[in-house]
Amino acid sequence: MSSTALSQFSIPFLMGNNLNAWSEALAGFNLFGLPLGLVILAAIPLVFIALYSLTYGVYGERKISAFMQDRLGPMEVGKWGILQTLADILKLLQKEDIVPTSADKFLFVIGPGILFVGSFLAYAVLPFSPAFIGASLNVGLFYAIGIVALEVVGILAAGWGSNNKWSLYGAVRSVAQIVSYEIPAAIALLCGAMMAGTLDMQKITMLQSGSLGFAHFFLFQTPIAWLPFLIYFIASLAEVNRAPFDIPEAESELVAGYFTEYSGMKFAVIFLAEYGSMFMVSAIISIVFLGGWNSPLPNIGPLALNDLTNGPLWGAFWIITKGFFFIFVQMWLRWTLPRLRVDQLMYLCWKVLTPFAFVSFVLTAIWEVYVP
Amino acid sequence: MQELDTTGLGSVRVTRKSDNVVVIEKDLATEQMVLAMGPQHPSTHGVLKLECLTDGEVITEAVPYLGYLHRCFEKCCENVDYPAVVPYTDRLDYLAGMNSEFSYALAVEKLLDIEIPRRVEFIRVIVAELNRIASHLVAIGTYGIDLGAFTPFLFCFRDREIILGLLEWASGARMLYNYIWVGGLAYDVPSDFLTRVREFVTYFRPKTLELCNLLTKNEIFVKRTLGIGIMPADVAINYGWSGPMLRGSGVKWDLRRNDPYSVYPELDFNVPVPDGKLSVVGDCLSRHLVRAFEMDESLKIIEQCIDKMPSAEGFNPRSAIPKRIRPKAGEVYSRAENPRGELGFYIQSDGKSTKPIRCKARSSCFVNLSAMKDLSKGQLIPDLVAIIGSIDIVLGEVDR
Amino acid sequence: MSEYFGNIKTGAVTIASGMGITLKHFFNAIHRKGDAGVDDVNYFRQVDGLCTLQYPREVIPTPKNGRYRLYNNIEDCIGCGQCVRACPIACIAIETIKVAADDLALCGKTSDGQQKKFWIPVFDIDVAKCMTCGICTTVCPTECLAHTSVSDFSEFDRSNFIYHFGNLSRREAEAKRRKNADLQAKAQAEKEKKAAEALKESKGGESGEPINVL
Repeated sequence: MSSTALSQFSIPFLMGNNLNAWSEALAGFNLFGLPLGLVILAAIPLVFIALYSLTYGVYGERKISAFMQDRLGPMEVGKWGILQTLADILKLLQKEDIVPTSADKFLFVIGPGILFVGSFLAYAVLPFSPAFIGASLNVGLFYAIGIVALEVVGILAAGWGSNNKWSLYGAVRSVAQIVSYEIPAAIALLCGAMMAGTLDMQKITMLQSGSLGFAHFFLFQTPIAWLPFLIYFIASLAEVNRAPFDIPEAESELVAGYFTEYSGMKFAVIFLAEYGSMFMVSAIISIVFLGGWNSPLPNIGPLALNDLTNGPLWGAFWIITKGFFFIFVQMWLRWTLPRLRVDQLMYLCWKVLTPFAFVSFVLTAIWEVYVP
Repeated sequence: MQELDTTGLGSVRVTRKSDNVVVIEKDLATEQMVLAMGPQHPSTHGVLKLECLTDGEVITEAVPYLGYLHRCFEKCCENVDYPAVVPYTDRLDYLAGMNSEFSYALAVEKLLDIEIPRRVEFIRVIVAELNRIASHLVAIGTYGIDLGAFTPFLFCFRDREIILGLLEWASGARMLYNYIWVGGLAYDVPSDFLTRVREFVTYFRPKTLELCNLLTKNEIFVKRTLGIGIMPADVAINYGWSGPMLRGSGVKWDLRRNDPYSVYPELDFNVPVPDGKLSVVGDCLSRHLVRAFEMDESLKIIEQCIDKMPSAEGFNPRSAIPKRIRPKAGEVYSRAENPRGELGFYIQSDGKSTKPIRCKARSSCFVNLSAMKDLSKGQLIPDLVAIIGSIDIVLGEVDR
Repeated sequence: MSEYFGNIKTGAVTIASGMGITLKHFFNAIHRKGDAGVDDVNYFRQVDGLCTLQYPREVIPTPKNGRYRLYNNIEDCIGCGQCVRACPIACIAIETIKVAADDLALCGKTSDGQQKKFWIPVFDIDVAKCMTCGICTTVCPTECLAHTSVSDFSEFDRSNFIYHFGNLSRREAEAKRRKNADLQAKAQAEKEKKAAEALKESKGGESGEPINVL
């Protein structure tokens, strides 16, 4: 078993038609009776989150925001400041790990943990390439939607445990926000699920492959798919507390929101969780509406661009590129827009996004039933 | 139906019906929380402390606590000569040093009753208006930050940097100029200064437009400020408001027009007052708009000043400066329009000393801030932040 | 209902226009604005672009008339002490010793030919206190005290902010002082002698009482 896994590793292009083979082989890899394969499998997304948060998340955000604001951004550590994040991490590691005296110590410590685990768990069902998915659940999408809600617990624990008024405000705001935005987000994703007829993330992606590239993506399959796409994108911003919905951590109102009291590595973990969930929602939206690991390039006559650019490694490239694009849009929005007020946030959720989500749900259903 | 006293009870409403039946309505049992906002809070613009009583996110009362930046301005003035007060006035409203100096110089000149060369007047107006633009840029930029938009702030500071450079070129210092002296100026402006200022005006016009598109017109920004913190004109007058705050409430009151000083009567400019089309008169958006429009008016004033200015031939900026300032016994109050409102100086002289025996600054920020209690009642915390931002306080001037 | 959709529309349009502006700046980030000072003719002809200057290596040039660090050209200083009296925050400390008549040539003249009459062993400026108002420089009769355009002079130790401009070392100052004291004592003795003589003359030695002149 292990030998086959390793042999396939060297010829990834041959596995285009053997879905999940690589990851399933890896999962079955046992060394001296220990499920080492599973550990490696679990470690891949973790390493990915860490690397991506380090490079694109923190450094990229700082650079992108700087360029949008006519600044240079970090420039001192390494060439173009490329090692800035490493320096920051080192600084955070050296910092004293402060737990306020009057804080609820258990909740205070467990909060960042839950947050991080919550954002990390959803990576299990993200198909990173045709040959790699952590857990090929048949309710993958459902699981991904549900697991986001776990973050609420972490935020509430962090906010309440800090015993700080600003943290409490941040936590309460955050819970109200995430719970509300779950509804339009879920309904918008259901439109995609309805078009696919399955909740399995890998199958949803597979259904969007074809020689015409992007034309097979759900976004371009029906004339109304852009509506749930847009709704999910907006709602996902709110779910990961990004501007203009960053009211739980609104720095000009609530100092730093629910992580006001955190410092050192706990703060870094919260940050990592935030960037982790940013990529998670970006990946979900690209899987459901933009074909996941499928190449958007079409076959044009003899030029078989689509066939050339598909495969396990290409798949990973495409889904990460798509995810990064949406993260870029998230950053772009953040550095352009002011912040909404709490009641406006709720207005947007309940009076704009939710009705439109229902409308798009019904329209998609009608389209699926009556249009072949 | 009559509402009884509900102070301190928050969500408890006691109403008395006509047949003398008292109805006590109670929302979910909530407890009021004291929230100390500041002095290290990011959006209190310095070291203001607001002690808020909150019911959930609703503020039932907000009391400003001042004095964290008190530097004994008035006592300092009593111990230094008249010309040496000027650097201290810079430090009152450190974002608009030129305007403060201008105001102080006007006061002492009134006390001394001296004539100022014409070119000096024009240069004073140019630097003061440049400083007004710089100050409004800070006000608008930080208001953006208060509402969560970070980028406009940096665009504002990029342009303010140019103004600071221009003023540094003229006076030698970037923020604390000591340029406008009693009776004249420290130096004449450099020979290229006026052409550079004119270039700045042409450079800056499109930038204001960009700022408008990025921030002022943004729907979220409008939604956050429209109808928030409304101050009726009569209450504003009773509070003694001045400057963009009073004009935001719809009162056309600008000391450059209503109590003209220097060469302002010769210049053609508008006093922008909200008409209620873009905003609700008296709300945060009106105040923001007044500042935004005032920048355009300042540009107009600067252009006219450059055109009308007498040439530098045979000009000595210090020609009218008295050798030793020892005014006759008496007192004077003089005021000028600062970016934040009326900055007045009350100066008393005993006729013997070269030091003022009393020098009081009437600070606009302090007076404007005094309405905080009224404005904040029943607002949400985000709205409170929007209101503080729209007051545009500089704690240096509040605490003095 | 139309207001509802109108709101959504204006929201979308204004957000899009704002995003257009930031995207324009994002793509404009390939340009960098130069570091020309505002007194440069081409100041406003620099490209629009990133305007950060990386401080220690790139600086905004301060204009020639920049009013920053105080500098006293002690060669020209006549020790009049006007600056000390003018300074609103008393950041200048000065000590002077009168130049003895035979030392005048040694003490020299200022660059505009004025005879200096004081040694200045101590001329200390605490630039940490200095608020660069420039009042001391305007009262200076020889224009030896001036603000320079050096704007960055940070130090690790506060005491380094006290700049010493005195033109005598402590030992020299001591010598000058002693010399002055000697001269004074000599002059005093002379005076006493003269006075005593005068007294003796006027009184003609009438009484034998000792006279205490001082």
